Amino acid sequence: MKKNLSVLFSLVVVLVLFVAGCTNNSPTAENSSSDENDTSNSKEEQVTINLGYYSGGKSDEKMQELIDRFMDQHPNIKITTQSAPYGQFFQKLDTQIAADEAPDVWLSDGVLVMKYAERGAVKDLTDWINRDLEKEDYYGLDFNKDADGKYWGVPQGIQIGALYYNKDHFDKAGVEYPSEDWTWEDLKEAAAKLTLDASNKKPKDEGFNSENIQQFGLTFFSITEGWFSVLKSYGGGILDDSLNQSIINTEENKQAFEWMVDGMDSGIITDPADLKSFQSPMAVFPSGSAAMRIGIYARVLAANEAGLNYDVTLLPKGPDGKRFSPVIANSWVINDSANDKKAKAAWEWVKYWATEDEVQKEWAALGEAVPVKKSVANSEIFLNSSDTPENKEAFLESFDFAGTLDTNAVWGEWVAKFNEHAQRAFLQETTIDEALENADKEVQEILDEFYNEE
Amino acid sequence: MKKKRKFFTAKTIGYIIITISALIMVMPFITALFNSLKTYAEFTAVPPKWIPSVFQWSNYPEVFKLGNFIDYTINSFIVTILSVLGAVISCSMVGYAFARLTFPFKNMLFVMVLGTMMIPPIVVIIPHFMIFQQMNLLDTLTPLWLLECLAQPFGIFLMRQTFLSIPKDYEESSKLDGCNPFQTYWRIFMPMVKPSLATVAIFTFMTKWNEILAPSIYLTSNEKFTLPIGILSLGGQWFGNEQYMVAAALLSLIPILIVFMFAERYFVSNFTNSGIK
Repeated sequence: MKKNLSVLFSLVVVLVLFVAGCTNNSPTAENSSSDENDTSNSKEEQVTINLGYYSGGKSDEKMQELIDRFMDQHPNIKITTQSAPYGQFFQKLDTQIAADEAPDVWLSDGVLVMKYAERGAVKDLTDWINRDLEKEDYYGLDFNKDADGKYWGVPQGIQIGALYYNKDHFDKAGVEYPSEDWTWEDLKEAAAKLTLDASNKKPKDEGFNSENIQQFGLTFFSITEGWFSVLKSYGGGILDDSLNQSIINTEENKQAFEWMVDGMDSGIITDPADLKSFQSPMAVFPSGSAAMRIGIYARVLAANEAGLNYDVTLLPKGPDGKRFSPVIANSWVINDSANDKKAKAAWEWVKYWATEDEVQKEWAALGEAVPVKKSVANSEIFLNSSDTPENKEAFLESFDFAGTLDTNAVWGEWVAKFNEHAQRAFLQETTIDEALENADKEVQEILDEFYNEE
Repeated sequence: MKKKRKFFTAKTIGYIIITISALIMVMPFITALFNSLKTYAEFTAVPPKWIPSVFQWSNYPEVFKLGNFIDYTINSFIVTILSVLGAVISCSMVGYAFARLTFPFKNMLFVMVLGTMMIPPIVVIIPHFMIFQQMNLLDTLTPLWLLECLAQPFGIFLMRQTFLSIPKDYEESSKLDGCNPFQTYWRIFMPMVKPSLATVAIFTFMTKWNEILAPSIYLTSNEKFTLPIGILSLGGQWFGNEQYMVAAALLSLIPILIVFMFAERYFVSNFTNSGIK
């Protein structure tokens, strides 16, 4: 035993020294960037920037390929990268920003751009965008514009909402496919014909059990792919144009909620409790358990992988003919604390991404997002990138009535609070009036806490 | 005869209960195994299809194609082994000091150590990040195991309690034999607290093997990722690749199962202070 413990102790000491030795001698990616930067200072023309992005499975390889090509085209710029799975990337980013260690340029989820912008973590890109980009050539530039007209990011790829429908379910029920003229009431009427309980009964049949549904008419969850489009097309919403005042407690929102709660109560639309019985809330439509869904563009990936026979169309109109499609413009942003040289090099990367047709085409071929450049988005490369959905034009037409998710510095906080009250209303644990009143009060408190302190 | 039948019945009921309990414990693993062998369509199917129509064995090689799983596994081993060694040595030393040595403010310091158990790791992550940044240790594996070598409160508490339960006679005997305090700790006490050392080692192993927060904060380069981060990176923002993630998670369980098989007897056994006459 004595001998064993001595060996153990010696092993620890040796390993500690070994690893510590390795650590000091092998510079890290971030260290190497700073070391190389020192070198670059002496060479003047060389600059190294660190680029951060959230890794996306198969898309990582393409990202690295595009970075390599950029470096070939820009021999004076070297890019070091850092990536992490989506959730971990943003968790780490907050820590890095606090320690002034964030990448020089990073890919931000569209809903988080304003969080960084309003906290001074990213650079105002207005002058560079005005100077170098033809705004008319791009989708989504304005989705990163604040109330003062300043631009904080350049979209890398766009997610925009549309109505997905399972053609097989429609054919089987003898219901006509959704038309672009549908209102939300038309959708509900069709959804009722497509809903089936465990014993294959429809809502109009006697003995229909709304508590045990095998096929929902519409699946629906959370903000982007749920309540936001309905509220907006009913003329309601969450925040006013200043993005720091709640407008939750309105008659329009009440009407929209009545539409949603009635649909959930009658078993036509998935409620938050129904979603828990699936692998994930996103899996309902790909699993064939719903005839329709509100979905952003990226949902084609799962639907195609599941081999569904489906298509997409425009989201329905509200009672007054108003329509709304939610947009998330995932964007490149530049670190505000990057020095001038690095910031300019980072801008070269952003320009390369936005302006180079080849980059846009190759990224579009992955099928993860609507291309930012209109010429590429309207070309065969995007429109025929996969057999399904056939009507990809619906995503592009939706830009005519698209808007952000009222993103501001405290978006994550107010969405969580609103969801809390919305879910209570959906599950009928509280009345719609109470839910809206409480949500209005508590969302406003979150807004005041941030904006009144500023 | 009647007695025998009664015994048989009781035994049978016992076996049935044990079998049902075992099935309840094993079912999630069997489900995960089947899920890892499904296509995406079967994975999301409702009602769930328990057994895949065709076993997709190719999901396993695909996992290795999608990520540097060999690297992730080696990294996880480096971090875990160094953490276990660090935790066992440091916790036993500190625990011994709190239990057996006399020094000023001993009790106050011990309360402070216990107090740190109440602090959630997320709260100290930014200060730790800044310290490791100053030490030029970001994007290395060092921050992941170094903290374990600086003693962990739970391990200290456990070791202190264990050392306290050893009779003073040992200490006195070793003193008579000419041992200094370190020799007493190392030669006399350490061999007697093996089960507690094993407990610290197993808890540290499991914690570090499954750790997500610290690696995701400190590591930047893909080739330095540990297994949990590697598994998560198989999924994209939009499309989960869930069947591959399950396959990778099952693969990552193999080392921990092997360790548990070898260490199980230490884990469940109790320390008995035999040897005193």
